[in-house]
Amino acid sequence: MAGPAPAPDAPTREVTRHVAIAGNPNCGKSTIFNALTGLRQKVGNYPGVTVEKKTGRFFGSHGEPMELLDLPGSYSLQVRSPDEAVARDVLLGRLPGVPRPDVIICVVDASNLERNLYLVAQMLELHIPVVVALNMVDVAEKNGVVIDLMALREKLCVPVIPMVGTAGVGFIELRQAVSRSPLPAPTICAQMPIVLERETMALAKQLPVAPEVARGEALLLLTLHDEALDALAHHDRTIIDLTRSTQQRLTASGIDPLSAPVDARYAWIGQVCAAALHKGAGHDSASLSDQLDGWLTHRVWGWIAFLGIMALMFFCIFTVAQYPMDWIDGATAVLADFVKAKMPDTDLRGLLTDGVIAGVGGVVVFLPQILVLFFFLGILEDTGYMARAAFIMDRLMSKVGLHGKSFIPMLSSLACAIPGIMATRTIENRKDRLVTILVAPLMSCSARWQVYAVMIAVLLPSGSAWLKAGIILGMYLLGLVTALLMAWLFKKKLLKGETPMLLLEMPPYRVPSFKSIALRMWERAGLFLRRAGTVILALSILLWALATYPKPANADATPAEALAHSAAGRMGHAIEPLIAPLGYDWKIGIGLIGSFAAREVFVSTMSIVYNVESNDQDTAPLRDTMLGEKRADGRPVFTPLVCLGLMVFYVLAMQCISTVAIVRRETNSWFWPLFQIAYMTGLAWIGAFIVYQGGRLLGFQ
Amino acid sequence: MNPFLDQFAVAALIGGALAFFVVRFLRKRAGGKSCGGDCGCGTTKPGKPGRS
Repeated sequence: MAGPAPAPDAPTREVTRHVAIAGNPNCGKSTIFNALTGLRQKVGNYPGVTVEKKTGRFFGSHGEPMELLDLPGSYSLQVRSPDEAVARDVLLGRLPGVPRPDVIICVVDASNLERNLYLVAQMLELHIPVVVALNMVDVAEKNGVVIDLMALREKLCVPVIPMVGTAGVGFIELRQAVSRSPLPAPTICAQMPIVLERETMALAKQLPVAPEVARGEALLLLTLHDEALDALAHHDRTIIDLTRSTQQRLTASGIDPLSAPVDARYAWIGQVCAAALHKGAGHDSASLSDQLDGWLTHRVWGWIAFLGIMALMFFCIFTVAQYPMDWIDGATAVLADFVKAKMPDTDLRGLLTDGVIAGVGGVVVFLPQILVLFFFLGILEDTGYMARAAFIMDRLMSKVGLHGKSFIPMLSSLACAIPGIMATRTIENRKDRLVTILVAPLMSCSARWQVYAVMIAVLLPSGSAWLKAGIILGMYLLGLVTALLMAWLFKKKLLKGETPMLLLEMPPYRVPSFKSIALRMWERAGLFLRRAGTVILALSILLWALATYPKPANADATPAEALAHSAAGRMGHAIEPLIAPLGYDWKIGIGLIGSFAAREVFVSTMSIVYNVESNDQDTAPLRDTMLGEKRADGRPVFTPLVCLGLMVFYVLAMQCISTVAIVRRETNSWFWPLFQIAYMTGLAWIGAFIVYQGGRLLGFQ
Repeated sequence: MNPFLDQFAVAALIGGALAFFVVRFLRKRAGGKSCGGDCGCGTTKPGKPGRS
């Protein structure tokens, strides 16, 4: 980093400039944003990581405070998806409450200069001062691309700063360029045909926008199709009619208003590249990335690699995380036994040991596994493998009416469905986006991991790590296959539409930054523990209260009778007829109700239920308690079929109130989240029913 | 342990847990744009410089 990053809580001084960072997807905007502001906005080596504007503050080279806006990546201002619309609206000053930027830092991938210059051409038309951050010059050099900086500066007539964002190269110069006062607006842009220029200026004069951006706005309007014009919300009918008549006049004079500005910009880009871009020897030879892609995107080897990577990930999670998990488990038991030994047998002791320690400890024990999972996901994101996974999935996705781009939100959902659903903003078509939102929560998120892990521990107390990894892989694949089947059904019946073609940028493979992955794991651990110390703790206390009160009138009642008499016991008994066909008893019913708002609460609920019911002075791990749990007739409750059925139930069930909230926000409707809860709960019940009853018919236990 | 103190401590903890959810709900409703989760997706209230 070039200069000391200000602390986020630095004394508030009036912002002197509003600076926006814009550029093509995956060109390093968020890396530069993080380096300038000292924040930790998520970065990754695939397009579409940032889907919403992010704000930070940084100081110019003279210490003047400036506000920095990180915008989602876009290839041009003619937007196709909701994330690109955010970038366009900010740059044109259309977004309420967000001032039009005083300066744009246009980040350009030096190894793809020609393609990146299209957005630069459009930025120059906006008459906002532009600083071009020529990022990844090291990659360009390695690829044999030589850029004549002097010629590029001369052609663009704006400051051009060569940078390597990941190595902190060029930040001093970037700060200086942004701090320059006054910063002149661009004077050069692509020359449009004279007739088009005249008509554009005439239309620009009629537009109710700032005079500086009027020409750029008019050009954008003229390149819109009929349907897009009709769908415009930010201009009134008069402007739309005026645009149409201008388009008709241009067509009559032999100029296609839709393609002429694009052609003019590409002609200008050609001139710039002819002067500033030289491709050295070896530029066209197949790079290591290309050679790797030959294997990893192969129609057979690609799939084998994909499944192999996932299996290896799960195997490592089970083996590496086992030791710290045992330590946490042991520490929880020691703490509970200590409290039991030191306190008399009162309600408060019950609340502390059976509620707080059992509930929170039951969840915290999975922290090591979650961290190893995020370590692997970080590697997949940073190396660029996510885009390859989307590519190999495209063949399958196209069969269900979606394209590979829908798979990236689904892959993001492996961590958490919420960023996954937000990542659907990169999908252009509204119906495809909606279908992806509806099926993304079927991908197994990290909260489900805890349910899978505890059920596998009961199912295979001494099984090999490979066998456990195989079952987990099966659960992940079940989620994926169900998501594809449901997407097919929705596209066929509910949200009919054409199957789109996949246009996806393949980023070059990069060595992952272990510092960045470690930081993300640190943040994830903080979030996990914060959640355990707040939401899970509060829920554990309430669940303990529900599992303890009201107490039976008979003081000699056994703990099991007391649990059955409690509010939670009554709720469990109330839904027992519904879940009995799945092989579940009323105590598992309490777990299902308790985890309605968040899946991982199932583990803490079961810990509380079995601890409240137990008379033991020593605290046993949840796995052992569940293994010893018997029905009234002496048969074990957690048979292999029940364990598998429970896992299948949690693969398919919604059980996440935060996801409901984000679906409500992203679809701007209550219908879709309610529909999603209904169909996923229905699917979960049917899936668990088939496993349990089908297994019994086949003679399994 | 004094039974009154015991019951009082239990009631206070349960009341605190309930209050936690009520305050959380009210803060979310007043906070405007929020993803509603603790997932680390970065979506928080807008317009706060220095926060992602």
